[in-house]
Amino acid sequence: MSGAILSRPGRVALSPRLLAGILLVLLALVPAALRLLLGGVDPLEQDLMALNLPPGDGHPLGTDHLGRDVLARLSAGTALTLGTGAGGALLAAGLGGALGLLALSLGGVVRGVAFAAFDLLRVLPGVLLALLTAVALGQGGGPVMLALGLSFAPLFAEVARATHEREMAADYVAAARVFGLGRLAVLARHVLPNLAGPMVTLFAIVLPRCIVTESVLSFLGLGVSPDQPSWGRMIADASGYAEDAPHAVLAPMLALSALTLGLSLLGEHARRRFDPLARERRP
Amino acid sequence: MKLLLPFATSLLRAVAMVAAISFVTFLLIRAVPGDAVDVMASQGDLTTAQQAAMRAELGLDGSVVSQFSRWVGQAAQGDLGRSARFGKPVVGMVAQSIPATLGFAGAAFALGLVLALLLAIGALLAPRSPLPALVEAINLWSIAVPSFVAGMAAILVFSLWLGWLPVIGNMVAPIVILGLDIAGQLAKPLLEELREARLAPHVRAARARGIAPLAVALRHVLPKAVPVLLALSSICLASLIGGTMTMEALFGLPGLGSLVLNAVHGRDYPVLQAVIIVLALGVVLINLAAELARRLADPRMRA
Repeated sequence: MSGAILSRPGRVALSPRLLAGILLVLLALVPAALRLLLGGVDPLEQDLMALNLPPGDGHPLGTDHLGRDVLARLSAGTALTLGTGAGGALLAAGLGGALGLLALSLGGVVRGVAFAAFDLLRVLPGVLLALLTAVALGQGGGPVMLALGLSFAPLFAEVARATHEREMAADYVAAARVFGLGRLAVLARHVLPNLAGPMVTLFAIVLPRCIVTESVLSFLGLGVSPDQPSWGRMIADASGYAEDAPHAVLAPMLALSALTLGLSLLGEHARRRFDPLARERRP
Repeated sequence: MKLLLPFATSLLRAVAMVAAISFVTFLLIRAVPGDAVDVMASQGDLTTAQQAAMRAELGLDGSVVSQFSRWVGQAAQGDLGRSARFGKPVVGMVAQSIPATLGFAGAAFALGLVLALLLAIGALLAPRSPLPALVEAINLWSIAVPSFVAGMAAILVFSLWLGWLPVIGNMVAPIVILGLDIAGQLAKPLLEELREARLAPHVRAARARGIAPLAVALRHVLPKAVPVLLALSSICLASLIGGTMTMEALFGLPGLGSLVLNAVHGRDYPVLQAVIIVLALGVVLINLAAELARRLADPRMRA
């Protein structure tokens, strides 16, 4: 069971890091919560009579250069930002973990080719991958998730390989194989349970990085389509009007930083608690 | 010879990598419906015959494989085709942009490396000072705060509110921001490595002989961390390239980043393809250099 690693004895101490992480993530989710509770304006609705309004009546966070409500856009962008990042991280875990494990268990040429491909992906900067997916598949959430998944997959594959090698070398696995347990059964019964903890931890570490990368891509115009209010896109759109409407830039900047800082703190907490990589990621 | 034999395999692998990246890039770009001629035709009147002539001139006719082999043949002679938008030779456009990007990225990396070394050695020698916490904080910063957000904040504060720096074409802010980013990525693993290296017997012997802590750190601890530092640096390379592109876009600096982003938005595929391949080549070359340096620095890798 994966519980073997996840439920290590000892209570979860509420460290300052954990507390700060939880608070920051909650803070970043406030606009979305407000929208759920109170309902809200259409994030795409333009009011050309109310351009670049400072925060105040009717528009708690003001309006942007097209007269769109900043709070409405911020809250609409929460799911987009979080969803694209999480989708990318999940895809990376799937590609790296599942394909890596499959290649490892098949061995031979398949293993060589798969890990050569992971090496190639590791060398390519994520932005270049995103350029390629944006050019080949067009703009949108799917291509961005694919780029994120491809560029973070090597990390998961590396963890899969380290765990696989360690478990295969263990005496109890040798014993199980002597007793006639097949390769797949060893994989399912001994490797997978030991992989679950490290994979979950790595996911927690990669998630904020995926969100950061997504926002960079949106900022560069390689992310989701222009009318969708991803936070990176909002910053890019409003950056040209920073002098007249600093609030329209600052709001998504603060929301994004709170979310990624909070998630990074949580990821760091998870790493310290379960520490799957501290040794293995060393070159 | 012992040093060069394993290096030859890395070299072969690097060549294979560049070839693979070139071909995949080529394939992906050709898979896009609508080429540069279609874009131009949609903007002005072009007869079918004119379109066919332009395709032939730009190397866009024939099958993908024949296009690729023709492209490789020309690239080997230093001809990367002409920009679909500007009609200028791509080689010239790329060559013009390389020095700016190289200088910018080099300055940011140098700043980051120096900062990381200072912070890590300081934190190693003064464990009770705020320095170890600073290493943690700057690491978190580099992971969680995207460089364009930091850059935007710098523009808001220093350019718009304090009026110290010009917004466009300013070099100081982006170099500092990217440098901090690199320092954050390097300092923490470097500090961990230094702490471990300090436990080695010869380091303890040196300390027991009463050699000053700083001298021990510089002469005995730091050299042990050099291979790791080189490996870390090549890992940083990807984020350095992404960061350089972002900074060029945000601060309106000329360079490969601006070139490639304009090429994407203008569907200037010859330029796009050339820049992607030049960047991939750069990454592979720098990784090779880092590996060779690591082999030289770490006797265990020579065996």
